[in-house]
Amino acid sequence: MIRVPERRLAVMRAELRKMPAFLRRDLLTEWSYRLAFVLDWGGLIVQALIFAAVQGIVDPSAIPSFEGRQASYLEFAAIGIALSSFMGIALARVYSVFRQEQVQGTLESLLLTPTAFTTMQLGSVAYDLLYVPIRTAIFFAFTTAALGTSFRWSGLGPALAVLVVFIPFVWGIGILAAAWTITFKRGTGVVGIFITLLTIGSGTYFPITVLPGWARSMAQLSPLAIALDAARGSLIGGADWAQVVPAVAILAPCALVSFFVGSVAFRAALSRERRRGTLGLY
Amino acid sequence: MTAQDLAVTAATDRGTGRPEEVAVRLDQVRRTFGAKLALDGVSLSVRRGEIHALLGPNGAGKTTLIRVLTGLTTPDGGEIEVFGRHDQGPSSRQLRGSIGFVPSGDRSFYLRISGLENLRFFARLHGMSRKQALERSWQCLRSVDLEEAAKRAVGVYSHGMQKRLSFARAILTDPPLLLVDEATHDLDPEASIRIQQLAADAAEHGAAILWATQRLDEVRSFAHRVTLLHEGHTRFQGSVPDLLAMTETRRFLLQLDRDEVASGSVFERAAAVLGDDGVLVRGDDDTGHAVLHLADGVVLGRGIAALVGAGISILACREERSAMEAAFLHLTQRQTP
Repeated sequence: MIRVPERRLAVMRAELRKMPAFLRRDLLTEWSYRLAFVLDWGGLIVQALIFAAVQGIVDPSAIPSFEGRQASYLEFAAIGIALSSFMGIALARVYSVFRQEQVQGTLESLLLTPTAFTTMQLGSVAYDLLYVPIRTAIFFAFTTAALGTSFRWSGLGPALAVLVVFIPFVWGIGILAAAWTITFKRGTGVVGIFITLLTIGSGTYFPITVLPGWARSMAQLSPLAIALDAARGSLIGGADWAQVVPAVAILAPCALVSFFVGSVAFRAALSRERRRGTLGLY
Repeated sequence: MTAQDLAVTAATDRGTGRPEEVAVRLDQVRRTFGAKLALDGVSLSVRRGEIHALLGPNGAGKTTLIRVLTGLTTPDGGEIEVFGRHDQGPSSRQLRGSIGFVPSGDRSFYLRISGLENLRFFARLHGMSRKQALERSWQCLRSVDLEEAAKRAVGVYSHGMQKRLSFARAILTDPPLLLVDEATHDLDPEASIRIQQLAADAAEHGAAILWATQRLDEVRSFAHRVTLLHEGHTRFQGSVPDLLAMTETRRFLLQLDRDEVASGSVFERAAAVLGDDGVLVRGDDDTGHAVLHLADGVVLGRGIAALVGAGISILACREERSAMEAAFLHLTQRQTP
């Protein structure tokens, strides 16, 4: 059993106690944009309706089956949307919150509090980590109740296991993007292009079998495609824990490497900006 | 750095009657930004309970020095000691917790949420419990007179209000070290005095305060010691009286009879009685002002007596610029070594 020194444990507890503060700050900030808050929920319904409409024009035989069960296009896309929402938090939000703090001038104030970088990163996405699952659950509930999708809830556990190893992978890339932003101030477009390519090229909205041969080969190596395939297998085909192990075995080392590289790059970026005295510039 | 180049007085460690425990010590700190030398071998110390003014014109290096102390900027060389810890900047979490910082800009808050919520947030990040954070936030808001605006979004605060909020945030944890960069820059006199009083109270309770400012009046009434920076160099270090003693005022603004000034006769009579002791010249306006320039070694009383003896009515007399201004200009207009 790993023994964590008592002092370290106390620090970790103290850092964890700061999480609700971030949550409250972001909830109040989001709530201050009331119209956008309401429109987001409206947008969710519209999104489901659009994919339901697309279902009508998609050839059902083009949609793969999972564990022997033929998926509908809406079921296929709903899982893609859910996973890409989580990817959006871990990738786009992690890097954009630091950019946002830099632009509004609060980054330095944050850095002057006795708070760990990890706490700041986690805290800055705590609201999304809470909001997006609720949003996703409501999305699934709506498509099930109103649009006739059917998911195997017994596969929820294995799907979550996939999510748990997939999120740190994109998180690491998000931190890497944050390091880039802190250093070069601009370049958000590159991240946008990366997210779009990854989303489209990994089978989020349509099967990778429709891609050209070379793109299909690349997509098969994409961690997002691996995660999506495993999550669909669980939630549509009802795959059990053992069936998601190969995906977890591939994603876990990717996550470790990505998180490590991202953290090192982020610390190096902060250190460089301190040396140059340009931390507050944007 | 020679004794001649630097007007570092022997009074550096005397006269404040404060505890001798050094909170901050900088030794030969250097920092450049490209070709620009922001700090060149700056050394200073601030004791607990002391208000140390960091004085200097724009671009003197005051903000850089404070940022180096916060750890937001790394020095190129030199040594920094904060509460006995040697470092190139207080990067450790423990030290960050013991520093209260008022930045020079006013963009350091979440504008969509209220002043109270901003303070609560920062209080929680300093490790306070929910209850403590709320109580202490209200307390600090009251102390800077922002109680009524507490629940308004910071985005609608004026510059002055944001500055006061910034000070309130800096004192949230009663930090033993307060770094204040141009805190009263945007404030009206009443608010300025209030903030100074809060800083003075904090010093009374043992906090070390480094107070960067361009406002000379502030230094005179408030600081125990002064470090005057110019283009990254230390031009003076010592007590306020020692700074005032740097120059002897030679120019005085006299309020004379307006008609006499208008006719010009007063200047002929003054020239006749002053001789080599000085010269009286017309002021810039037509309100009866004249400027008396005294020669070296001539005291004011002698000049005034000569003018009164010539029948000139002197209604009022004051230094044309304050001794503090004169010292400031004297020290900052010398060529950089």
